[in-house]
This record gives sequence, structure tokens and C-alpha cells, in this order.
Amino acid sequence: MGAILESLGFEFPKFLWQVVNFLILLFLLKKFAYKPILNMLDERKKSIEDAINNAETAKNEAEKMRKEYETRLAEAKQEAQEIMAKATKLGEEMKHEIVANAQSEATKAIQKAQEEIKREKDQAIAALRDEVAVLAVMAAGKVLGKSISVEDHEKLVKEFVSEVGDLKC
Amino acid sequence: MSAAAQEGGGIHHGPADPLFDITIPGTDFHLPIYNFVITSWVIMFILVFTAWLATRNMHRMPKGIQNVWEYIVDGLFSFFGGIMGEDRARKYGPFLGTCFLYILLSNYSGVLPGAAMIKGFVPPTNNVSITAGLAVLVFLSVFYFGIKAKGISFFKHFFQPMAFLFILNVIEELVRPVSLSLRLYGNVYGEETIVAQLGEMVPLLVPVPMMVLGLLTGAIQALVFTLLASTYIAGATEEHH
Repeated sequence: MGAILESLGFEFPKFLWQVVNFLILLFLLKKFAYKPILNMLDERKKSIEDAINNAETAKNEAEKMRKEYETRLAEAKQEAQEIMAKATKLGEEMKHEIVANAQSEATKAIQKAQEEIKREKDQAIAALRDEVAVLAVMAAGKVLGKSISVEDHEKLVKEFVSEVGDLKC
Repeated sequence: MSAAAQEGGGIHHGPADPLFDITIPGTDFHLPIYNFVITSWVIMFILVFTAWLATRNMHRMPKGIQNVWEYIVDGLFSFFGGIMGEDRARKYGPFLGTCFLYILLSNYSGVLPGAAMIKGFVPPTNNVSITAGLAVLVFLSVFYFGIKAKGISFFKHFFQPMAFLFILNVIEELVRPVSLSLRLYGNVYGEETIVAQLGEMVPLLVPVPMMVLGLLTGAIQALVFTLLASTYIAGATEEHH
């Protein structure tokens, strides 16, 4: 086989040169090409994967938040409605109360007024009675033609009043 | 190395190859610098320098040369990933990718106009010593990666499916680097020779179709070499159940 190779122009120093050169090239390309580029490709792949994952997560998060907000909004709406209903009811109740109060107040006032009137009337009647008694005694005195002394006068009035007092006027 | 230098000193192929010798001071040792070595260095420089430019200041949003190199590396690694799975492509991709890039640029270096006229400008892959170098590296890497991945049980596959097939398996293993190196060398050398011969006969236009074909062959041979190497490595590192 050696003879065949030699006839083809095989030379051992060239062979060795080639092996050495190739190993040097392999070393240098590993250092300057394969390692940094593969690292970069890996890094890029990872960053793209991360970005996609992050986007997915963010999307899910946003969807979740949207749902949450929708629920909250619905809740808030319901709550507002409840509050409105409550307020309306409360207002209605207050109206009724106020009206009732006013009515009872009015009734009381009327009652009081009536009492006042009655008392005034009683007083007037009493005063009138006294006056009438005095006038009657005086008239009687005039008729009798003699004045009545102050003591008799008072005595007569009292008797008259006590007698008349029992009568209904 | 000294043995190699002595051996290399005696054999000369073509005019001025090695281009010159470097004598290590204080010794009798001559380091022959061949034409292809210079071309190799140019190829290595282009690859390493552009890679350095691309990765010197990397951005998450790639642009310019970084984009080109990312495209190359990603393309190569997904290609290997399709053969052996992503995890193993990560481990063996650098070796295989370097094979592909080096062979591709070597093949294409011969297509450049006037390539043959510049001293020290010879496509490395049209020399069997160079393709043998690559093939032997693949051969060794199969053992290296295989033993690294599976330990001693790597050698089991030599006795499968039957123990008596051991000899055949060994021959198969040994033939691989030979076929790898001869295929690559033959294709590139043949291509170069045809273009050169045609160019000598009719220098204008006629060699153009062959040169276009050369572009195709260059890429295909780089791909075939790398594909075979990756299937060898994939086979050697495969986990059996």
C-alpha cells in the first residue's frame, strides 16, 4: 500500500503539515467561531423562549384581570342598585314618618287650642257669673231701696254664687 | 518531526516544492515550507480572521459578518444534527464543520483565476498527502470519539454481528480513510487537470463549463467527505440500547 501511495505522490512531511495545520485550525475555529456562535444561538433561543413565555403569562394575567374587573364591575353595579333601592325605601319611610309626625303635631296643636278655648270660656263664664251676681245684688239693692253694706253685699254674693254654682249654665 | 523532515527533504514534486526550507537555528533540522502550506495558511487565516471579526463583538441582533458566520455554523450543526442528533452534533460538530470549511475553501482556491500562476498558491486538496492527512484525522477521530463516548465497549462493534467477521470489520475500518482520501484527491486533481489541459489547448471560454462544474464538484466533494466522516463518527458513538 505504501508503494501505491508513493506512486500517487504521497509525502509524509506534507501529511504531517496537513495534520498539524488542521489541528491548529480546529482549535482556532473552536475558540473563535463554534463556541461563541453556539453560545449566542443558545442565548438567543432562550431569550426568545422566555419572551414568548412571558408574553403568554402576561396575556393570561391580563385575561384574569379583565375577568376580575368585570366581576367587580358587576358587583359594584349591583351594589349601587341596592344602595339606590335602600335609599329610596329610606326616603319613603322618612316621608311617611314626617307626615305622621306633622299630623300628630297638628292634632296636638288643635287639641291644645281647644283646651285653651275651653279654659278661656270657663274663665269667662266664672267672671261673668261674679259680675252678674254683683249686678244682681246691686239691682236688688236698688229695688229694695236701701244700699247694702259691704259685708252684707259680699255675704249675699257668696250665697248667690254657691246656689247658682250648682246649676248648669 | 526530524524523521519527517529527512524524508521530505529527499522527495520533490513539481518545480520549487517545497518553496523554501526553514532551518531551525543551532540544529541540522530543515522545516520544508510547501506551496500548499502557504495556501493552507491563507485559508486558515481567512477562516479564523473572519470568525474573529464575527465573534469579537457579538450582538443579540446579528448583522454583517456575524450573520454570515451564524448562518454557516447553524447550517452545519443542523446538518450534523440531522445525522447524529443535536447532542452529538454539539460534541463532534466542530471537528466535522472544520473539515467541511477547510475542504470547501481548499477546493475553491483552485478555481480562482490565475491560482496556478502564483507561487505558493496550490489547492491543498489536489495532493494525496493532504487528503490522506484529513482522512487519517477522521479515522483517528472515530476511535477517539468512540472510546470517549463508549469506553472499551466501543470495540464490541468489531465482533458484530458475528465474531468471525472481525477481520472484515477491521478491513472496513481501514479502507475508510483510503477511500476518503482517494475520492477527494481524485476528484479535485482530476478536475484541476482537465481545466489545465483544456486551458492549454483552448485558453478562452472552453474551460469555463469545466470550471463551473469545478465549483459544483468542489462543494459536493467537501459535502461528501464531511457526510461520510459524520456517519462514521455517528456509527462509532451510537448507543446500542
